[in-house]
Amino acid sequence: MQDKGLYDSFAAKIASVNGECYRAADRKELLTLITEALQKRKAAKVALFPSPLLTEAGVPAALTEGGYEVIIDDLRRRIPQAAVGITEAQWGIAELGTLVQYAPEVDNRLCSTLVDTHIALLKSSAILPELDDALAAIASTGALPNYVGFITGPSRSSDIERVLTVGVHGPIELVVIVVDEGGR
Amino acid sequence: MANTELRKEIDRALDNGTLRGALGKFAREYPVARDKAYTGYDFEALREKVKEYKSYSRDHLDEVVDEFERRMVGRGVKVFRAPTGDAANEYVKKVAAANNVKKVIKSKSMASEEILMNEALREAGMEVQETDLGEFIIALNHEHPSHMVLPAIHLTKEQVADLFSDYTSHKNDPVIAELVKTARSVMRAKFLEADMGISGANIAVAETGTLVMISNEGNARLTSTLPRVHIYIVGLEKFIKNFREISPILKTLPRNGTGQNITTYVSMFSGPTEAYLTDEEKGEKEFHVVILDNGRRALSKNEDFKEMFQCVRCAACLNVCPAFQFLGGHVFGGHAYTGGIGTLLTAFLTSKERGRDIQNLCLQCGRCAEVCAGKLDIHGMILKLRKNFGDEGMPFVHKFILDVVSNRRLFHSMLRVASVGQLPVSRGKPTIRHLPLFLSGMTEGRSLPTVAPKPFRDIFPGITQNVASPRGVIALYTGCLLDFVYPGIAEAVVKNLNMAGYRVALPETQSCCGAPANYMGDRANAKKTAELNIRGLEAEKYDYVVSACPTCTHALREYPELLEGADKELITRAETLAAKTFDFSKLLHMLGGIPGKGSGAPLRITYHDSCHMKRTMRVFEEQREILRGQTGVELTEMKDCDQCCGFAGSYSIKYPEVSGPILEMKINNIVAATPEAVVVDCPGCMMQIRGGLDARDIGIAVKHTAEVLAERN
Repeated sequence: MQDKGLYDSFAAKIASVNGECYRAADRKELLTLITEALQKRKAAKVALFPSPLLTEAGVPAALTEGGYEVIIDDLRRRIPQAAVGITEAQWGIAELGTLVQYAPEVDNRLCSTLVDTHIALLKSSAILPELDDALAAIASTGALPNYVGFITGPSRSSDIERVLTVGVHGPIELVVIVVDEGGR
Repeated sequence: MANTELRKEIDRALDNGTLRGALGKFAREYPVARDKAYTGYDFEALREKVKEYKSYSRDHLDEVVDEFERRMVGRGVKVFRAPTGDAANEYVKKVAAANNVKKVIKSKSMASEEILMNEALREAGMEVQETDLGEFIIALNHEHPSHMVLPAIHLTKEQVADLFSDYTSHKNDPVIAELVKTARSVMRAKFLEADMGISGANIAVAETGTLVMISNEGNARLTSTLPRVHIYIVGLEKFIKNFREISPILKTLPRNGTGQNITTYVSMFSGPTEAYLTDEEKGEKEFHVVILDNGRRALSKNEDFKEMFQCVRCAACLNVCPAFQFLGGHVFGGHAYTGGIGTLLTAFLTSKERGRDIQNLCLQCGRCAEVCAGKLDIHGMILKLRKNFGDEGMPFVHKFILDVVSNRRLFHSMLRVASVGQLPVSRGKPTIRHLPLFLSGMTEGRSLPTVAPKPFRDIFPGITQNVASPRGVIALYTGCLLDFVYPGIAEAVVKNLNMAGYRVALPETQSCCGAPANYMGDRANAKKTAELNIRGLEAEKYDYVVSACPTCTHALREYPELLEGADKELITRAETLAAKTFDFSKLLHMLGGIPGKGSGAPLRITYHDSCHMKRTMRVFEEQREILRGQTGVELTEMKDCDQCCGFAGSYSIKYPEVSGPILEMKINNIVAATPEAVVVDCPGCMMQIRGGLDARDIGIAVKHTAEVLAERN
């Protein structure tokens, strides 16, 4: 990652909206961070939407080896059993602590929405400074993916007596792991 | 009469401690959160962009809607343009029938509330589930939303627990985190079972054929992800042309709405997404967009109200509205739209009659327009609405008052009679229970002032003006309150202007400024008084015209607009008057102030900004500079110094039950600043605040800026 400031700002913003953010220098650290997050939540079943980063880093295989049941298909039926979902995001926005996902595939959205804990992976080079940079990046794809989602922290509501409560219909927790380049 | 009904609703709302507690808490926290969220952002520049983009689409509606439809259809989306709410509901029912839909889940859609879609679908035999937490709660309570962003803000956790206990048939404790868990688990099953989802959209982008929706709870994501059929309903006012135009809306809507930098989720749909069509089979879902007109196209061409297209539905106008804070949206709103913008939307989109009733609740303080993300002149449009309704006939008593105040001789003779007749009821203090101007006896929480024994017009001839070589002559316009209630302020104005080197004249044939009639929608009487004053004041003869009442000043300056269409000679004279008229503090500041720095006696003051002085005329530094220039005067700002005192002209007469709590808040803020005197530039505010202090036996003086200066020099 070229700019440490971007990561710091991104991570601070995520923390300010009740999310967690970690940084992995390589594949080993990434696996360690994922495993720690799963252990902390005593999760046995993990839903996962394969992405190039996840696959290249060997996450599904490592988790299976580690004794986790990794759910990657038949998600409509099986995802209610999974407490944790793992996906990769397309961009990050440092200004807001926002993840941008291109997720026309239903499984990607299920893994990032219908779980108690969403673990989102992001390449450190994908952190953009500002909202307008992200909008420009999305627009530059020409025809937009049929679904583009921004995620900023876990789901929340203040609908009862204006008291902020985290964890409503979407994830109760959001864990972001930023992976450095060459982290193979 | 509908007004009687509204009155009852007002009483019920004010008795509702929960509503006032929750709204009051929000009203206190909101401005702080909003300010924090805008740190480092140029709100004025952002809303200028929102206005530019949204007004472009409004003025090129066919161009943007056609382009949007082309893009969407090109990707396999079915687009239906619904001219009316009924047509939209019929279409939704048809799609549901064709897809054998039994269970529907919805994420927030104001447009569907507007057209009563839930009712229509239930009548057709479908099960309809609102998934937004607040919407879910009010649906259990068989209510409509009381706030556009926080629909259930009027209910306590205890009430929610009771509703949930009934619904789930097991006891729910009034613990918010637990209640949210209940909603999560109840709704999870509903999401998984539903055949069809229905959502609203915050933005529709023509260039890319994209619908943008923002939410916090995740229900919008699940609603649009799980069911095999999805229908979006989007109003014609939601369109923008280019994708990049999303930016200023995304930067203002969440900050304005809830003080968030951005909502948890922003979802952008540009075509039919993949879904599970059955438990196993994935495929492209059936994806429909209903574009709703229902009166919007006509609105886009209405010169007086087309700004409404710039609204992004952030609800900031509700969040800062003093009347909304006490009443909530069930009173100050229609069945879908609430508060300031909700009054306008209700009048044009859902119920003209309801709009006619609730527009009365607007104080015209203008705070809404200050925070509006789309730069709408909300209170200005409400005033236009009031005028339009006024032309259609107004309640008898109000009409009578206005006829009286705009008939100079009748009004003045009534006041003179009153000044004698009031003695028995003035409790030996300079306050009374009734003033004939205010025919109704609603004085709860406020004492009204006595009518002065001698009006200023009788005092003026006896004033000696020692100005050696005058720099010029200024005409004094007193207005009703200075003439008959506070002649002392007028005397102070004369003294100060003399010290500044000017002689003061009092043109005799002046009358009420017309503001009461104007604000109550009685344009005919407003025009009548305007003409009287233009001819009577003869501004052509003077260097300036001064008034010490910002409402009068503003009214005089608005005469050219009020008289639009009158003969040219009158308009020209109106323009001359408007150009020469200034409020006392503004004029004195322009003239360089008074030479003296005063007696030096220590005086702790706080300053209350009148709505017209601060927000209409933008005068708030001048008077502070003048006051601070006096030796010994120590100015301590109170909290919310520019929050309306609740007087708002005739408002405190029509709705004293709303005006009262607003005054109470003001009094508390004044007391907290521990001044010896609260200084104002508006005799209306003076009457309201002095009455409030007097009724509570609080020994803080209320003084006009002119009086403070005159006393010390």
